Order: sequence, then structure tokens, then C-alpha cells
Amino acid sequence: MSPCAHRWSQTDIRSGYLVVEGCYHCGARSSFFSTEPVAPMDEYREGPHFWEYLAGYQAVTFNLRCEACGQTVDLGDMVGLQLSTCDDPQCEVGRLALELGKKASIYVALCADSSHASGRCVSDGGVVALTEYFNQRLRSGRRQIKVVPCKMCSDVDCCRGIVIADTGLTDF
Amino acid sequence: MRISEVVERTGLESLNAWEDADVSGVYISDMVSDIITGAESGCVLVTLQTHKSLIAAANLVDAALVVVTHGKRPGDDVVQLADKAGIALFSSPVDTWRYAVQLFELGMR
Repeated sequence: MSPCAHRWSQTDIRSGYLVVEGCYHCGARSSFFSTEPVAPMDEYREGPHFWEYLAGYQAVTFNLRCEACGQTVDLGDMVGLQLSTCDDPQCEVGRLALELGKKASIYVALCADSSHASGRCVSDGGVVALTEYFNQRLRSGRRQIKVVPCKMCSDVDCCRGIVIADTGLTDF
Repeated sequence: MRISEVVERTGLESLNAWEDADVSGVYISDMVSDIITGAESGCVLVTLQTHKSLIAAANLVDAALVVVTHGKRPGDDVVQLADKAGIALFSSPVDTWRYAVQLFELGMR
């Protein structure tokens, strides 16, 4: 554990598009962040998958850097944040919401592979740093923000919540 | 400055229950991806956006209040989400530029 009481700030802020693709062969979904001037909409084959464009949102990515010790946390494995409205006791996120109560807001850090077939998700270090960062910004200790990885959801594709995304801006 | 002063002096219509609190700074944006990287806690968040995503972003950055301009009104589901998150939500009849001028004339920077 680091002896530094980190003071996080955003760094490496990049604007682009969050592109969501689906495989019409197996139904898998995947997301990636693109800094191309126009969101890529190509269909292509990758191993067993036949990816096609499903949606694109204007988005930003950022990393966190500690102003005290200079440590940087890479958040490249996170493609978005979702305010959870889940209260399903069968879901770990829902149980956490019930446990923390109304003063806590739970945000699910979404990784690129919602099926988690690869076994990867947003890193533990990233989730901890995000939680510290957003709580450091709060004006009142009466509120709390908790960031959790999407692998905690019982089914992230069915998870109840509001994704922070600029929906509709690229649909013309 | 307090929320109550901003409400009274800029003619805001309240859309949900709110508690008075300090306000510092202003952020104007219609993009939630921009809000989460640019807005500071305690700010007046001025926007045309009325999607639920707005509340998710305003809650994350701890905005003191959200002002939807040009007389636009969010749907009931958005207001209910703001209530749940404790976000003070208001509507202004003027457009974003005129509302920004009002805030500037109040001394807000």
C-alpha cells in the first residue's frame, strides 16, 4: 500500500467516440474508444467474431494522476461510467446499494468486454483511484460515491442504470 | 453565494425539492462527457441537456444546482432521478447566453 494520501486529478484527457460493436454470429458485444475524426463503422472479421457497428457516442477518456506523489493510474481499460439504479438483492451491486443506503451513489466502471469472456475488467487500482478521486471532490461528507467494476454486476447487459454518454449526437 | 440568491436574482423556476447550499463557479455544457472532465464541485451547471445522463454526470461532479435554459423542462423520470440523487434542478426561461450574462452580472466567475 502506498504511504501517500493521494490527491487525484484528471490527466491525459482525450476526446473521441465510444464505439459499440456486436458479433452477429455469436451475439457478443465489444466496445472501444476511437480518436478518429469520424466514428469507425466498418464490419470486419476477427477470429470467430463478425463485428458490426451498433452505436457510437461522443466520449472522453482520462487517466488519474496524484498531485502529491506523481503516481499515474491508467484507466485505458474503462470505456464508461454508469450510475447504478439497481436494487436487486440477487446482484452484488444491488446488495451493495442496499447496504450503503440513500446517501451513496454507486457508479459501475464499464470495461470493453461486457461478457467478461476474456476474464478482464477494469483494474482494481483504477476502481480504487476513481472512488478516491470522486469522493475528494465532494463538498459534503454526508454523501459518498462508490465506483465498482462491471464484473460485479450479475449481468451487465441487463444491469439497471444510466450510462454517462452523449447519446444521439452521432445519429444524424 | 447561496443557491437561494441565484434562484431569486436570476428568476429560476424550481423543478424539485432542494436545500440551500454554497455555490462557487459556473460551468456551461450540453455534453455529459465534457461535464465530467470540466465541471468543478459546487458549480452552477447550465445546460440545454435534459437526458437522465445529465443527472448521472451532475451527481458525479457534485454540482450545486443544474439550470436547464430556454424554458426546456426535463421529463418526470429525470426529475425523479434528480430527487433521488439530491440534485437541485431548475429551469430558466432565457437562452444559455442570456443566462450566462445574468450570472456574470451577479459577480459569478
